[in-house]
Amino acid sequence: MALLSIRNVFKSYFLHGKRIDVLRGVSLDIERGELVSLVGASGAGKSTFLHVLGTLDAPAAGEVLFEGRSVFSMNDAEIAEFRNRTIGFVFQSHYLLPEFTALENVAMPALIQRRERAGAYAYARELLERVGLGQRVDHRPGELSGGEAQRVALARALVLKPAVLLADEPTGNLDPATGEGIHQLLREVNRELGITAVVVTHNETLARSMPRRLRLAGGGVSEA
Amino acid sequence: MHSAERQTVHRWTFIWTGALVSLVGFILLGMAITHSDAWAEVGSALGLTLVGWGGVLQVLNGALLTPAVPVGGAEQLHTGYLLGGMLVWLAGWGLIASGLRRAPAPAEGPSPAAGASLYPRLARYRDFYWSTLAAYGGGILLAELALVLLQTVLSSGVPSTELGAPASGNAGGGLSLPPTLAFALSLLAAGTVAFVSGFIGASRAQRLSLPEATIGVLYLGLPVPIVLTLMERVPSLQLALGYRLREVTYVAGLLGRPELAYWLVFTALVLALVLGINTGFIAAGSGRVDLKLGFELFVARRHVMVFRPSLLLGTLAVLMFGIIPPLLIYFVIRSAEAAVERTRIRALGLKDPLAAASDLNRLKLREQSPTMMMTALSVGGVGVGVMALIIVLSVMSGFEADLQKKILGTNAHAVVSKYAGELPEYPKVMESIRRVPGVVGQTPFIINQVMIASEGNVDGVIIKGIDPATVGTVTDLPSYILGGNTLEILHTPEKILDRGLPGDEPEAPAGGSGQEGVEEDDIIRRSGKPAKPPVLPGIVIGRELAASLRVVVGDRVNVVSPLGTELGPTGPIPKSRAFRVAAVFYSGMYEYDSKFVYILLKEAQNFFEVEGATGIELKVADIDDARRIAGQVVKVLGGYPYRARDWGEMNKNLFSALRLEKLVMGIILSIIIVVAAGLIVATVIMLVLEKRKEISVLKALGVPDGGIVKIFLAEGLQIGVAGGLLGLFSGLSWCYFIEKVGIKLDPEVYYIPALPVRVEFVQTALAVVIAVLVTYLASIYPALKASSVEPVEGLKAE
Ligand SMILES: Nc1ncnc2c1ncn2[C@@H]1O[C@H](COP(=O)(O)OP(=O)(O)OP(=O)(O)O)[C@@H](O)[C@H]1O
Ligand SMILES: [Mg+2]
Repeated sequence: MALLSIRNVFKSYFLHGKRIDVLRGVSLDIERGELVSLVGASGAGKSTFLHVLGTLDAPAAGEVLFEGRSVFSMNDAEIAEFRNRTIGFVFQSHYLLPEFTALENVAMPALIQRRERAGAYAYARELLERVGLGQRVDHRPGELSGGEAQRVALARALVLKPAVLLADEPTGNLDPATGEGIHQLLREVNRELGITAVVVTHNETLARSMPRRLRLAGGGVSEA
Repeated sequence: MHSAERQTVHRWTFIWTGALVSLVGFILLGMAITHSDAWAEVGSALGLTLVGWGGVLQVLNGALLTPAVPVGGAEQLHTGYLLGGMLVWLAGWGLIASGLRRAPAPAEGPSPAAGASLYPRLARYRDFYWSTLAAYGGGILLAELALVLLQTVLSSGVPSTELGAPASGNAGGGLSLPPTLAFALSLLAAGTVAFVSGFIGASRAQRLSLPEATIGVLYLGLPVPIVLTLMERVPSLQLALGYRLREVTYVAGLLGRPELAYWLVFTALVLALVLGINTGFIAAGSGRVDLKLGFELFVARRHVMVFRPSLLLGTLAVLMFGIIPPLLIYFVIRSAEAAVERTRIRALGLKDPLAAASDLNRLKLREQSPTMMMTALSVGGVGVGVMALIIVLSVMSGFEADLQKKILGTNAHAVVSKYAGELPEYPKVMESIRRVPGVVGQTPFIINQVMIASEGNVDGVIIKGIDPATVGTVTDLPSYILGGNTLEILHTPEKILDRGLPGDEPEAPAGGSGQEGVEEDDIIRRSGKPAKPPVLPGIVIGRELAASLRVVVGDRVNVVSPLGTELGPTGPIPKSRAFRVAAVFYSGMYEYDSKFVYILLKEAQNFFEVEGATGIELKVADIDDARRIAGQVVKVLGGYPYRARDWGEMNKNLFSALRLEKLVMGIILSIIIVVAAGLIVATVIMLVLEKRKEISVLKALGVPDGGIVKIFLAEGLQIGVAGGLLGLFSGLSWCYFIEKVGIKLDPEVYYIPALPVRVEFVQTALAVVIAVLVTYLASIYPALKASSVEPVEGLKAE
């Protein structure tokens, strides 16, 4: 059974009474341990698709199954727990919490689970070092550069070793060298921890380096 | 095309006609009330009803309940108005409703998703649960019944002392706790019942279920207080229910206005239900009971930093010294500091620009955001409310305690008497009473009303025959005697000092020897020898009375009793007797110092021709237990014809008036807290708007809705707790100040030299608890708003 199956998902936005159909019956299977890239024109609906996959947005119709179980049938607590334990999300903009330091931001998913502080901070520090931010643990998001904040967000998504990593342009703000470092990291966590990852990107080299490539266009997803 | 915007078609003619018609209905209803002269009733009923639609029921009840104008025709008329008004009112609403029509279905074709499965959470949505309605409505009803039943079972059979009836059977079969303690316990139990049922209902439905709550409270909760209120006004209902509910009415009656008590308790129970609903929703609404708070507090503390020394000290200073002085000091310090800092930084920067830059940066970090200002204001608001409550209630308690001390100083804790007649057998009765545990003193007395006349003036007073040997075991009268005298002097009236200096009358030193002569030989007196006045019995009078009669110790006064008459030459004349002022007392209570006089019990027996005594005054070990001990005494004496009344009962009106006054003061001052709660609502709403994006991120990271609610509740609560603690601290400081330094009062008016304070633990704690509770309630709405922010929606909000 596929880890994630998307069945006939519809999603529309309404603007001034007009309906914009962004996803029109998307169906797709993603197997455990796959590393998938998703490309598409700006405004094609990649972010929308990722939000629906990550249960952050409700589709108008259709289902998302995780290990055969419909995620949108879960109650509030189960969905929250699903988001916390199973999904790691990297947003297109970093969306760190401004009152907390980089370290606390990275540890946040573990703290939400009420894990013990010291252990959570220790692992968060390790992750920050891995994304090259060992010197910035005590900075608040306002005191980080855009690329640094994006890397903190990636560390935050990985802190609980989720089953699925959904990353919306994680290298959009990075210089080519750092970007390549992040790609390396993604491949590593995919290989070492068996994390299934869906990565949205405009970077053709990155996209081509992924084992499976998807293209979103005209409200549907096709293999590229 | 435009169907998304226009969902409803309004037919304005219908709506306007409907509004007009229901207005007519409303006027008709008003006329019905006017015709039955019921506005006062309705007004007070509305005022009492603190819960929304309860008012309408009260209006109806008020209109139905008032006795009709005697003329039969008039009565017909206003029932007509009432019915007609209601019908017209309903018809108006019907018209308005029919003026609203659902828009026709859009003419577009089916969407591409037609036939696909609906998003499951929407598909499962239900907006009404019968089980939740049962939990809420049943819960509030159960809580009310539990309160009534427990009060009846736990309390100490009120009538036992008053009726002094067959001691065995009566006593209510209860556990005979003091009524107030029983009430506290029952209220606690009932509150728990309401809370738990709210909790269960909300956690079962996994939502707040406000329609269910409203219906439940209206239809199942309101009837009980309404019946109780009606009972106070409708004699037939009183007859039917009054006896069974006597414990309940007794406790409510302690407040002077029983209805007020019923509605207050009802409101408290509804509050407990609401708290339960809210807690149930947060704890289990999302499918899992989770009462831990660590993470939520961690986040909340970063959002609102209330517990910073500068904020706490600043607010405390404002509470203690008013707004202006601390503000002035603050600005002086801040501007001095800023000037000094900047000069220093500039000097530093001339040497090393980088070092200066880092210092400048630190200076900038200290600046405050508008939310911080709002937070400080809210903390101050709550603090002012709590402080005012504590000070005012403590001063009122001080007055009450002072009054109670004075009443108990001059009055007994309880009085044993017979329903009719005197107590000739009082020594035997006293012997029996001695065996009752808890009685620590007793003294017989005779009481009567007389006129007292001096050369200068005349006054009506209450005269009491006392036994100087035992009176001190019951009241503080012996210690009130002025000028080093004792009551024992009543036994030896010949030793009463004469007016003026002893040297004035050369005879005085020899008085003792001359005494026997008087008694032995009346003839000596009659012979023209320098008359030695007869030895008059002594009387003890109060300082105020002495002043108004213009007498001092040794002066002669006449006591005239209108009751016992003697036959004079021209018919019956009032009995009159001369006394000499033996001592003057000062109790500090005007009532007593101007209205009470004391003579020997024996003299009183002779004067009023009473056998024995009128009654026996008792002192008990614990005054709060006086009621029960009085009942015990009656039991020991075998009930009827004996009766015992405790001090609370004898001064019932006075104390219930005081209590009512205190309660009303409390309610009025709580309005300050409610205003502060408004500030808190505003602050937390600002916070929610400010943090929309972060709420979304937290949700995306896996914080459930309940967790978000907890975070923002914690933020409101922090404000409440900080304000409550500051208010507590400043209130207690002010009370300490008033007590130690004292605020002088005009003794002519208050008969008490300085403002009294008495800090009572329960009411002080209650003030803080109420403040925290109100802030908690105030944060519920914004917190729920916060939890309804959808992840993606918040992320896109810029
Ligand atoms: N809240 C909204 N209301 C209306 N339209 C929206 C809303 N959000 C997104 N859209 C529209 O939906 C479409 C898809 O948006 P989405 O963010 O998924 O694009 P994307 O593929 O991620 O683009 P990019 O590569 O630029 O990030 C866009 O055309 C956008 O204008
Ligand atoms: Mg995008």
